Amino acid sequence: MSSPTAPGVTQEARDYLADVERELADLPAEESAALLEDLEQHLAALAEEGDDCPVVIRLGSPAAYAEELRAAAGLPARGVARPPVRRDELRRTVAELRAHPFAREVSRLWAELRPAWWVLRGYLVIAVPCALAGQWDFPVPAPLGSDELGLLLVPAAIAGSVVLGRRQLTPVTARLLTGAGAFLALVAFVLAADGTSYPSYDPGYAYPAVYDQAVGEQPLVSRYGPVTDVLPYAADGTPLEDVLLYDQDGRPLQVGFQEWWADGCARVLRQPLAADGVPVPHAFPQTYALDPVFGDPALCDATVARPEVSVPTFPQPVPTAATGTGPAGVAGD
Amino acid sequence: MDASQLLKGVLDVAVLAVVREADGYGYDVVRRLRTAGLEDVGDASVYGTLRRLYQAGALTSYVVPSDEGPHRKYYAINDRGRSVLEDSGKTWRTFVDAVDGLLSGAAA
Repeated sequence: MSSPTAPGVTQEARDYLADVERELADLPAEESAALLEDLEQHLAALAEEGDDCPVVIRLGSPAAYAEELRAAAGLPARGVARPPVRRDELRRTVAELRAHPFAREVSRLWAELRPAWWVLRGYLVIAVPCALAGQWDFPVPAPLGSDELGLLLVPAAIAGSVVLGRRQLTPVTARLLTGAGAFLALVAFVLAADGTSYPSYDPGYAYPAVYDQAVGEQPLVSRYGPVTDVLPYAADGTPLEDVLLYDQDGRPLQVGFQEWWADGCARVLRQPLAADGVPVPHAFPQTYALDPVFGDPALCDATVARPEVSVPTFPQPVPTAATGTGPAGVAGD
Repeated sequence: MDASQLLKGVLDVAVLAVVREADGYGYDVVRRLRTAGLEDVGDASVYGTLRRLYQAGALTSYVVPSDEGPHRKYYAINDRGRSVLEDSGKTWRTFVDAVDGLLSGAAA
């Protein structure tokens, strides 16, 4: 028997009522209905008092309440096995935890956020199956590949979800709904965390290929942008030519091709050739020559000067006899 | 001695007396009993007693619609209830006098 629940009665009270109802299940329907009606009104009256004290604390466990009710009403005690006491203890512990100020604050916040969840739930009901079927098109899912259908279904689902949320449901339905909602949220979370499930984020070209290409053209990047040349100097400030540079792992240092020049002329890279005729790309500075095919050489600077740099001055090494390996040592005393 | 044990025996009298004073719904009766000093009275006991007295024909009930919240089922005492209360009251006084006599005798 399921009695209609009065508005304003909390979920906790509905659960309590359902539990007592179970305890009275063996009584004639008329008898239990009358007792439950009283209890329902009682719970509503308690709720009206605005007392936050959990029902289980106030009235005792549902089993104990039902037992006391039977005894006072002159009804036979329940013969069949009752749920174990442990369950009542658990319930009481849960109720005590719920009575904690922090838990109350959380549950209050949760109650305030419920309408937001109803909207999200309605959206997810349409969006999650679409995302699973690969018919995801953010922000409006496109069921069967149709954006218009999505625009129709999403508001309908949200409206339905809100209506469902506002209604008073039987405990069983409410639990089913909570379970389904949790499952939906979990699937949505997994989908959101696994971004690859969202084809809409595919910009139309493959990132890795572009990345490789960029690295190939500009293999060395500094904080100022791509590095296209390295200009070596000796400690005394002499500009060095044809210096071979290697990175920390012994690999030839590679820089990018310089595409743009201040004079607007195109240039081609002229790398020195090794004895076997293979170009040496890691000889620095890089040498560029004007591309005769592209642009008028007369309008171009034939040579590209090194930029002005201020090379630090190092202290001069003081030759002493103790060095042993210097020219002085070779010359002898 | 635990007052709740005593209560069980006299709850009928107490509930009938409260309802005779004025009609009341379940929670109202609980509160009036507590205000009168029966602090240990259990909600379920009161509701069960009301139900039993109603079944026994000692009380009548009627529903009062409420603007806010659920309708309330009020209990009112009837003639049968009054005679039950009168009989029970006599029994109670005799009982109390007897126990009082025993207690004062024991104290003397």
